[in-house]
Amino acid sequence: MTLFLSLTSCIEIIDDLSISGDGSGTFKYHINLSSSKIKINSILALDSLDGKKVPSIAEIQSRADKIVKQLKEQNGITNVVFDANYTDFIFKVTCDFNNLNQLQSAIVNVIKSESKEKEMPELNHTWVSFSQNTLKRSVPQITIKKAQSINKNDSDLLKQGSYTSITRFEKEIERIENENANLSKNKKAVMIRTDPYSLTQNPHLLDNMIYLVKTTN
Amino acid sequence: MKSLLTSLAIFTAISGFSQLSEDLIPKQAVSVFSLNNINLLQKISLDDLVKYEFMEEVQQELFDGSTRGKTIKDLGINFDQKLNVFNGIGENYEVTGLTFGVDDRNKLFDIFDDYTPMKSNYPGVDFYISYFNRIAISGNIGILYRVTPNIEIVDKITDSIWYARGNEYPFYNYWDDYDYRYDDEEYIEYEGEEYYEEEEIEYLEEEEYNLTDEMEIEENTSAPKLFDEMPEATDDPNTKNYYELRDSIDMVLQELYLVEFSNELFINQNNLIKNAPDFRKQLSHDTEGIFYTDNSRNFGENSAFYKMKRYYPQLFTDIKELYTGNIMMGDLKIENEAIVLDLDVKYGEKLGSIYQKLTDTKFDKNVLKYIPENNSGFFTYNVNLREAYEQSLNVIKPILENESNRNISANLLALEIFDEFVNKDALFDTYKGSMFGVYSGIRKVKTEKLIFDYDEETFDYTEEWVESMEDMPIFTLGFSTDRNDIPSNIMKRLSKMTDKFQNKGDYWLIEDGMFNSVPMYLIMQNNLFIVTNDEDLAVNNAKGYGSASLSKSKAKFAQKSGVMYAYSDLGKAIETLPRELFSQQENEMLDVLRGKSGKVTLTSSATTKASTAFKLNYNFNGDFTNSGTYILDLINSLYVLSK
Repeated sequence: MTLFLSLTSCIEIIDDLSISGDGSGTFKYHINLSSSKIKINSILALDSLDGKKVPSIAEIQSRADKIVKQLKEQNGITNVVFDANYTDFIFKVTCDFNNLNQLQSAIVNVIKSESKEKEMPELNHTWVSFSQNTLKRSVPQITIKKAQSINKNDSDLLKQGSYTSITRFEKEIERIENENANLSKNKKAVMIRTDPYSLTQNPHLLDNMIYLVKTTN
Repeated sequence: MKSLLTSLAIFTAISGFSQLSEDLIPKQAVSVFSLNNINLLQKISLDDLVKYEFMEEVQQELFDGSTRGKTIKDLGINFDQKLNVFNGIGENYEVTGLTFGVDDRNKLFDIFDDYTPMKSNYPGVDFYISYFNRIAISGNIGILYRVTPNIEIVDKITDSIWYARGNEYPFYNYWDDYDYRYDDEEYIEYEGEEYYEEEEIEYLEEEEYNLTDEMEIEENTSAPKLFDEMPEATDDPNTKNYYELRDSIDMVLQELYLVEFSNELFINQNNLIKNAPDFRKQLSHDTEGIFYTDNSRNFGENSAFYKMKRYYPQLFTDIKELYTGNIMMGDLKIENEAIVLDLDVKYGEKLGSIYQKLTDTKFDKNVLKYIPENNSGFFTYNVNLREAYEQSLNVIKPILENESNRNISANLLALEIFDEFVNKDALFDTYKGSMFGVYSGIRKVKTEKLIFDYDEETFDYTEEWVESMEDMPIFTLGFSTDRNDIPSNIMKRLSKMTDKFQNKGDYWLIEDGMFNSVPMYLIMQNNLFIVTNDEDLAVNNAKGYGSASLSKSKAKFAQKSGVMYAYSDLGKAIETLPRELFSQQENEMLDVLRGKSGKVTLTSSATTKASTAFKLNYNFNGDFTNSGTYILDLINSLYVLSK
């Protein structure tokens, strides 16, 4: 899949995190490559590209199913739904989590299980935490490492894509630290949009501290 | 006294022998590019030179910074001598390298600074070594070469010693538990033995285990390409594991073959010139360079035919005989801002008879109606498949009849049944063999994409499909046919089964027929069956481009050409060709052409039983800056093609 992501000019990624008052929530991750389907299909028609084997749809499907199966087996993760459209190349994963620590552990476990690398200190990074009405978000270091490994020619293509990060709460938001972030009119959601290339150049672009309105009992 | 005389005789023989760079081209050479006028290359920077694919065999340890800012002129080579790049296959080893005249050894080894002198057992020949590469200098002629033992032999000896020592199967083999038959169509069976295609195994190995991270597989290390896990190192450091044993054998064999190679070249003076009269004759041509490939030896010695050689030895011998005399020879000339390659492909009688029948046909003028004047490139290909089929049958059937193997007999039986019962008139009238293709550059085509529409109140989003435009290379491929009624009937039936196939009168539309995203069009007109993604051709020009079709002056070249004609405007075509549509090998070839302008045409003569002549003209129309670069482009293309 990395092969396609790095060679696709118009990739759209959405990560959408909804957090309830008790710390549980829903995580959605969407990858939309529909605006590059001709290019992807032409790549899929090849045996290899730049010395790398091009997987078949069946191989991609099998790998994706395996990842989803592993995600379903993680502690504190429920209602995992994977929706894959191999005609237009749109992939959506949704899952519920009991708390953010379990969500992070689940993702780390799946990455470790799928990775060929034995040591990945980047996975020890805590990229989201929530306590005392404050949520801290950043981009996982593993994502930064992978993004930075994309060569310059491919990186140029990523400039045309988009990355949208949304964080939702049941309560209203009091303030946000990231100047690039937008607050929804109902004050319960924060959205930051950028392009994948900018993210590779500035991994802290999506970092944010979100302070919720304190409720008095 | 006797030994002194012998030594003197040898020395005299060697000194007198090595006066021309081509004299050191070894007899094992299968392909040779020989540049007569290397003055043309003087201005080319070494850093640019090493980017060419054909330099890959010799550049690995050589150009490691010592080349920076220097040109070929600084190499210390003699520009009055030919520069010969060769690639050879022997029975036990492969050898690659180049030969050249030496003008200044100090300059040469300033560049080749990784090389150190080594002891020479050959009077008058100095040797230098850098890892697995050698440079030998005899008089004022040098040869840079690498000898690589045949992998099959290394494996065979390793296995033999390994098991003779009482060792067990050295690998944990994941695939023992894997049933290939349900996994891939590449599964093949030979006489009860099961095999997996090697390429597939290599892929699986890398994908599933990433063994490349754990074991050395660089070209120099000789680590075998196996699909098994790396064997554990033994506890006893004095006992070699399988791979260590294998590396040792590889090293020993390499030394043996290096001696064999040197004896043959420096003592017996047995070079390619002595063994290949065609090559010798071609060297005398007064041209800028020559190209020579002996396909018959390529066929015989290439490891790709190892399985056929092993399991069907008689068939291998017979097929090899078919290729006897199949030699490609080319002359490279510079003519008024153009480089011309005259290529002569020679055949043995049997193979020649098939090619002659194959090309026994008239040019189909109908194709000219469908080639627009403003194309970026096109080709026409004229063959008579029916005649070629009948002649191939005449040649191949006796070969198969000689084979006692049951699989071959079964294949022969299938072939005979096919020949008797299939309606060959219908088959070959439908698909006659002649075809044409047009590349019309990149155009925007309509497609659909998903967008997310965000609600400002909540940032919830809804999905919406909208029209989108994507770049698409526009190709047209057409086949001559006398039976358009057959595909037409097929389309009629298919259109009843699904509305993806739509009859539009002059053409058929297949929805999402290309890359599952954009329409494809079928045109069945003028005794041609045309497949295209060019909407303009289908909708507006289904009966031909009329006055917008190829001009008569250009068309006559295609008509007069023999088996094939090709034309490409590099400036228009190469830059726009998407990398994704080509294999790695094709991209390697296209890469050196990217950024250059000019026009390339390929014409061919009528095919006789003995040969076909091709002429490649690379005209760079006033953009002439350094003809050496264009020559190297051509050499590189030929090298990549002959790999």
